[in-house]
Amino acid sequence: MCYTKFAFSLSLSLISIFILCSSIPEISAVEYPINVWPKPTTFHWTSPQAILLSPNFAISNPDNRYLTAAVNRYLRQVLKENHQPLIEPPLHLTSESPLQLLIITITDLTSPLTHGVDESYNLTIPSSGSTNATLSAHTVWGAMCGLETFSQLVYSKPSIVASGLYISDVPLFKHRGIVLDTSRNYYPVEDLLRLIKAMSMNKLNVFHWHITDSQSFPLVLPSEPELAGKGAYSEDMKYTVEDVKLLVEFGMEYGVRIVPEIDMPAHIGSWAEAYPEIVTCANMFWWPAEAKWADRFASEPGTGQLNPLSPKTYEVVKNVIEDVANMFPDSFYHAGGDEVVPNCWKVDPSIQTFLSKNGTLGQILEIFVNSTLPCITSLNRTVVYWEDVLLDSIIKVSPSVLPPENVILQTWNNGPDNTKRVVASGYHVIVSSSDYYYLDCGHGGFVGNDSQYDQPPGTDPGNGGSWCGPFKTWQTIYNYDITYGLSEIESKLVLGGEVALFSEQADPSVMDSRIWPRASAMAEALWSGNRDETGKKRYAEATDRLNEWRYRMVTRGIGAEPIQPLWCVKNPGMCNTVHPFVS
Amino acid sequence: MDYRKPSFSFFSFFTIILCSNIPQISAVEYPINVWPKPTTFFWPNPQAILLAGNFTISAPEHRYLTPAVDRYLRQVLMEHHLPLVNPPLNLKSAPPLTALVITVADVNSPLTHGVNESYSLAVPSSGENAILTAQTVWGAMRGLETFSQLVYSSPSSVACGLYISDVPLFMHRGIMLDTSRNYYGVKDLLRLVKAMSMNKLNVFHWHITDSHSFPVVLPSEPELARKGAYGESMKYTAADVRNVVEFGMEYGVRVVPEIDMPAHTGSWAEAYPEIVTCANMFWWPAESDWPNRLAAEPGTGQLNPLHPKTYQVVKNVVHDVATMFPDQLYHAGADEVVPNCWKVDPSIQTFLSKNGTLSQILEIFVNTTLPYITSLNRTVVYWEDVLLDAEIKVSPSLLPPENVILQTWNNGPNNTKKIVDSGYRVIVSSSDFYYLDCGHGDFVGNNSKYNQPPGTPQGDGDSWCGPFKTWQTIYNYDITYGLNEAESKLVLGGEVALWSEQADSTVMDPRIWPRASAMAEALWSGNRDETGKSRYAEATDRLNEWRYRMVTRGIYAEPIQPLWCVKNPGMCNTVH
Repeated sequence: MCYTKFAFSLSLSLISIFILCSSIPEISAVEYPINVWPKPTTFHWTSPQAILLSPNFAISNPDNRYLTAAVNRYLRQVLKENHQPLIEPPLHLTSESPLQLLIITITDLTSPLTHGVDESYNLTIPSSGSTNATLSAHTVWGAMCGLETFSQLVYSKPSIVASGLYISDVPLFKHRGIVLDTSRNYYPVEDLLRLIKAMSMNKLNVFHWHITDSQSFPLVLPSEPELAGKGAYSEDMKYTVEDVKLLVEFGMEYGVRIVPEIDMPAHIGSWAEAYPEIVTCANMFWWPAEAKWADRFASEPGTGQLNPLSPKTYEVVKNVIEDVANMFPDSFYHAGGDEVVPNCWKVDPSIQTFLSKNGTLGQILEIFVNSTLPCITSLNRTVVYWEDVLLDSIIKVSPSVLPPENVILQTWNNGPDNTKRVVASGYHVIVSSSDYYYLDCGHGGFVGNDSQYDQPPGTDPGNGGSWCGPFKTWQTIYNYDITYGLSEIESKLVLGGEVALFSEQADPSVMDSRIWPRASAMAEALWSGNRDETGKKRYAEATDRLNEWRYRMVTRGIGAEPIQPLWCVKNPGMCNTVHPFVS
Repeated sequence: MDYRKPSFSFFSFFTIILCSNIPQISAVEYPINVWPKPTTFFWPNPQAILLAGNFTISAPEHRYLTPAVDRYLRQVLMEHHLPLVNPPLNLKSAPPLTALVITVADVNSPLTHGVNESYSLAVPSSGENAILTAQTVWGAMRGLETFSQLVYSSPSSVACGLYISDVPLFMHRGIMLDTSRNYYGVKDLLRLVKAMSMNKLNVFHWHITDSHSFPVVLPSEPELARKGAYGESMKYTAADVRNVVEFGMEYGVRVVPEIDMPAHTGSWAEAYPEIVTCANMFWWPAESDWPNRLAAEPGTGQLNPLHPKTYQVVKNVVHDVATMFPDQLYHAGADEVVPNCWKVDPSIQTFLSKNGTLSQILEIFVNTTLPYITSLNRTVVYWEDVLLDAEIKVSPSLLPPENVILQTWNNGPNNTKKIVDSGYRVIVSSSDFYYLDCGHGDFVGNNSKYNQPPGTPQGDGDSWCGPFKTWQTIYNYDITYGLNEAESKLVLGGEVALWSEQADSTVMDPRIWPRASAMAEALWSGNRDETGKSRYAEATDRLNEWRYRMVTRGIYAEPIQPLWCVKNPGMCNTVH
């Protein structure tokens, strides 16, 4: 460990002691002239004012490969961004000398970026530049969060920084992520890099990459090159080993983990291009005219499930797992496990034989899990599955096959009810309730030849054909309490949440605007909560702050969508309703 | 008129096709398609030929056609579009196509409502000149767009051995964009016009001003934008408007301005507080019920029809706008006049206390402004409210059908019928089908609707016009639904509308496209096949390809399906 400029850490402790002793009541950040998104847990700013940032402003930090990259980036940003807020902050620019230095100190430089790593930090910006600003954190990842906060306190041209403040910040939930599906439609690497960058701005720390599905297999695996060779949409719609390395390293520099998901045993139709022999019901019409919904081959167009009874399946799966684990260093590995559809297995002769001997589909899934889960955990990975593996009404496994110390379940159905069922079974849970966190909802169905859109005028259009409609507004996302209805002990099993963009009707043309600023809403709810000091939901005051934050993201190159007319920002409170909603 | 390279090859080709008695096959089977689908497309033996490296387009000299020709020439030589599904077309070894010859019967027809947009296009398979004939330069532009969509690959190849005869079903095919709730840069508007032209849409209805901001700089009333625009950099200058209008001419897109009044004028109060009632008030006070709101949404203010100064300003505004926008249609708004906003004004209170009515006040306003607009040789478009509002409306006698067109947005086909039954021409923008902002939740702050306990039904998500209108919803809507033939003739066409409470340049393209393309085809050649059956199923694959081509042309249209569906035709359908 190498603390450069170690001596300055003394001044930090002096300032924090000074502030802690001054017994000033914490005032609500809504009145602050400049804000940080997500709102910090503790923000003392007794006398809001600002000082100039010296043109020679510097940031000193202990040497660390990823932190140094982040420091260089933020230094450039605070000197060059020259952000002009929509509402000019009514801050008194003091005549004090400009701020010369931000000193970063870190207790433990070696903590890796992993689930549960300490992301807390303290930031002090004195009211005079004759004293240095200080950022202290336990880990480099906490320091990155503090740097983002610092950057959001800087604005104007020449650069000015909010001063006379102390922030002590720590997230409520350790797992704050975004799922992006790159199989239904492809996203080039540059879009994924921009996603990570925007996540870091919002202090989100997990990019859950739903890489493959039945529609395409864009990931090039060294041991199984044919999967992408035949299963990718095209030659220029692949992620190479170098692409993944670039993304993972980029994520490290931004404090964002990448959790890969190779969904299986369902959602693997694209594997059949290379290995038809291990895939059941591949390339069949998903829901034949003569079949009931229960007899569909897949939950949406694009059929195919791995055959757990074929030995060859495990040769391929093992290669896939090993390659993916090699390419993605994160300790989480997402193995899918959702939406195994009975009829897709039932059409296979070997499975028919098994079933005819009183075997069940649940047993077949258990065979698959038992043959793959140990392989993944042997690579020192915690496995994330979608909740279906435990909660599906037809095809599920016994909890005994899923050791809670190795398995996390990600919930997406039935809102808080399934979260409760998962934690009540003793599992850690990641919440992606489709009622709240699915970003694709409310956009109609993508299936073709759908006569519901050809009804006579006057017909009730219902929810517009979106299975999870309506559209989840930023407020819907912001207000959701992911531990709703849980006891304190149960709540501890909730690691956090992920908003999800499944890409049947999304690709780079809409990625930014579908995700932002709605993912920002979750980012704050999971970081410092959705309530004010009195316990009241703070969505009303968050509106103005989110307007400003959305605008700042846009100026930073993220095409976040607007949530209100600009008029509302310029006329605070005037776009509110004061009439409570009556259902 | 300057017909360069007059040629008879077109006629001989045409005769051959007409005599060869080949049944018209459905375009769904064609390996390459044109969006919107042409009315008539003969392609008995689909194949392609190369476009010569020195390919040229000859056309009569014309201020607007010539730039269009130059643009399309560049495009067909340079676009090198590779369709998602490679067209299985046999590339003929015939000599490459060296020229497209355009003939125009009447080069003087201005771009105005009802102008003839028909064209015929013949691309022979022999390498003989391709022929595009049109009555007007605007029809020729439509034909050029069609030709450009038949060109693909590198080196450029073009579908050949075909004959297209094309004419739109409806004369008015537009997009309404609101630039007041949020601002759009001029470059966004130019991109919109460009994309409209690709889809053969011909009217950009520009809802320029509203209560939230007044971005257009008017020479006689500069204070309106100076104080009412969002910022110095969020204005449209006279030069900007000229740029948009001229650009529109080169793309065959008319620009119809809307200055909404007497409601939706809160932004005027920054410059002229004395002519605006209820300005800058909280829109829906806690103590009042919905009928007593001051505006239909946050942002209050209505012009005071009883104040003489109102008409000084309005006259200047109308005059300037009519000068800046040459189109024959002038949209004067008149939607959502809210009772309480007028009722809080003392002069209006006095009027009402003498047994006057709010409708009479609106009649005063219409009587004082409509004749002025028509005196400038304009046909006035109003939102339907002026005639159909439940509380504040005018007598039909004040709205001469020869000078007034009504634009419908409520109650689907019912209001369309009411309007045509009253003898008015109508533009259809039914919010049940054509509003592009619906289904996106509500923008109003502090809304407890989104803070209900889990398990509470989410309903339509509190979007007043939810759900989201899918491209199919738009495609399938028959804007003359329930009308007889005579009534249908009063339906000029339709406009999809993007209100911008939750939209700006970040989402303009994907909110509009490809859903506006769906309307574009429905209004050009209809939404049914030769047998009268709805053709939304076969349109899906074509729209996937067309959406992709728009993206490659720089329009960020949103995807409608996984790419997998395009590559596996029919596999993403439902048969239930």
